[in-house]
Amino acid sequence: MEIEKEKRSLLDFFSGIRVTVSKYPALGALIAFSAIFVTFSVIAPKFLTLRSLTGIFTLVSELGIITIGEAFLMISGEFDLSVGGVYALGGALFVVLANSLPSFLAFIITLGVAAFIGYVNGMITLRGGIPSFITTLGTMMITRGILLVATGGFSLTYKGDNFVPTILSKLIGRGFRPSHIWFIALALLFSFVLTRTRYGNWVFASGGNKEIARMKGVNTDSVKLRNFIISAVMAAIAGCMAISRFKFANVAFGTGYELEAIAAVVIGGTSLFGGYGTILGAALGAFLIGMIRIGLVLAGVPGYFYKALVGAVLITAALINIRMRHTST
Amino acid sequence: MQDSPLVKMVNISKRFGKVEALKDLSTTVQHNEILGLLGDNGAGKSTLIKILSGVFPLDKGELYFEGKRVNFSSPREARRMGIETVYQSLSLIEIMSISRNFFLGREPITWKRPIAILDRIKMAKECKKAVEGIGVKVRSPDESVSVLSGGERQAISIGRAMYFGAKLLLLDEPLASLSVREIRVVHEQIKKANESGASVVYITHNVYHAYPIVHRFVILDRGIKIAEIDKKDMKPEDIIEIIASGQMVKA
Repeated sequence: MEIEKEKRSLLDFFSGIRVTVSKYPALGALIAFSAIFVTFSVIAPKFLTLRSLTGIFTLVSELGIITIGEAFLMISGEFDLSVGGVYALGGALFVVLANSLPSFLAFIITLGVAAFIGYVNGMITLRGGIPSFITTLGTMMITRGILLVATGGFSLTYKGDNFVPTILSKLIGRGFRPSHIWFIALALLFSFVLTRTRYGNWVFASGGNKEIARMKGVNTDSVKLRNFIISAVMAAIAGCMAISRFKFANVAFGTGYELEAIAAVVIGGTSLFGGYGTILGAALGAFLIGMIRIGLVLAGVPGYFYKALVGAVLITAALINIRMRHTST
Repeated sequence: MQDSPLVKMVNISKRFGKVEALKDLSTTVQHNEILGLLGDNGAGKSTLIKILSGVFPLDKGELYFEGKRVNFSSPREARRMGIETVYQSLSLIEIMSISRNFFLGREPITWKRPIAILDRIKMAKECKKAVEGIGVKVRSPDESVSVLSGGERQAISIGRAMYFGAKLLLLDEPLASLSVREIRVVHEQIKKANESGASVVYITHNVYHAYPIVHRFVILDRGIKIAEIDKKDMKPEDIIEIIASGQMVKA
């Protein structure tokens, strides 16, 4: 009798944990984050210094802002492979415009152009009935192509005013930059929108099951279109941030960022099919990737290992995430 | 108001290209009745439901709801008048929580501008109350729908429609792929909805499913109404005969 009771309460306890895990998809990413953080702290002597940590933060802020937009779009059931291209094209456009216009105006126009690219991604996908994977693969190549043709492969130097660069990424001291604050603020904002607003509910529903969402009166196309625009604009913001830091634009900027962003989103527990995920998890995923990139260098491991390790973490995280979701049902 | 039927259809027709899905159909749904809409595949049952729920506009004929002539241009409009539809598989989003599903498309909000903020306390409280009222046991309304059985999902969908004040409930094959025990759960819920004053149109091609709880049957065949029967006048076997032969036979 007593044993039965004990067994029961133990069972309840474990199923309780599972419910908690399924309610907080970012938990897996948090565990992986802690594990890798501790590992690097032990094996890389310089890892646990303010200088390297803020360095990671700077890298992560730029990748992370792209990741937030990508996560939002992926939860609503679509992909954006063009974020790396938009990041680079946005940055280059910002340089060109700011060299003859006030930087603030250049920034606004750049975001407007990015919004247009996002709109085109959305319209082609939703009206044309093509998977977003294909549409944005196309626009990724197109944005990179435009960049190559327009610059002839040469770097562009930023000669504009310091207004936007200061706001976005001027060094404050001890390695801290405004971009860190922007990243945290945007993560909190989008996390709020996703979990606490009606629009957020529609984002989940559009990715969870488009047909049912439609039946219940949600305009899923409009939700997705807006998220395509958000994704592109976030990528352009990150691009302008990188420009503000480096003061030049390069054709190869952000190559592979689309895959790193998607990896970060998946590591963060978001379902590849949409309907499930968190912004916090995606942000942690971006941290994980940034940490690996810099931690490996500090540990004296050849940089070639970076991609392999990110890949291994991605697969492990995806396996853990899917296991957790299945056991929680 | 009670003298006119809840729904009156007069010579309703609908075609899709060359196919006449419905031909001059006239029938009624009375107040507080459960009407079984029967017919083989392709009889026009789903088309009729989609006209009633505002998915398709009608080509010809007149549709009256509560005595007023209506012509719905969208499901939203039909819903606003109190017509709710529960589709066989398209009722709840599996990956989302029960409370988020329950209020999807009609979320209660605490704040409107610049962005509508969910009233999460109300969502949790009302959903818990409604779900418990249906007799489904869940640990929390924040749990994913995937913990529910098919029958529980349908029961919750019906409960949801009632929560939002449905006067007419359209059920499209609500028992598809449910077990015997689950069928009972759903039937309980349909009865409860009916007792609280709603009329129900119950679509199925399985007479035995509908027979225990339906008051009256309308039978369609290739877009034409071939029979309108009070349940007490006919056995299920005879009804099957009508569906199979496609014509009214003398009992």
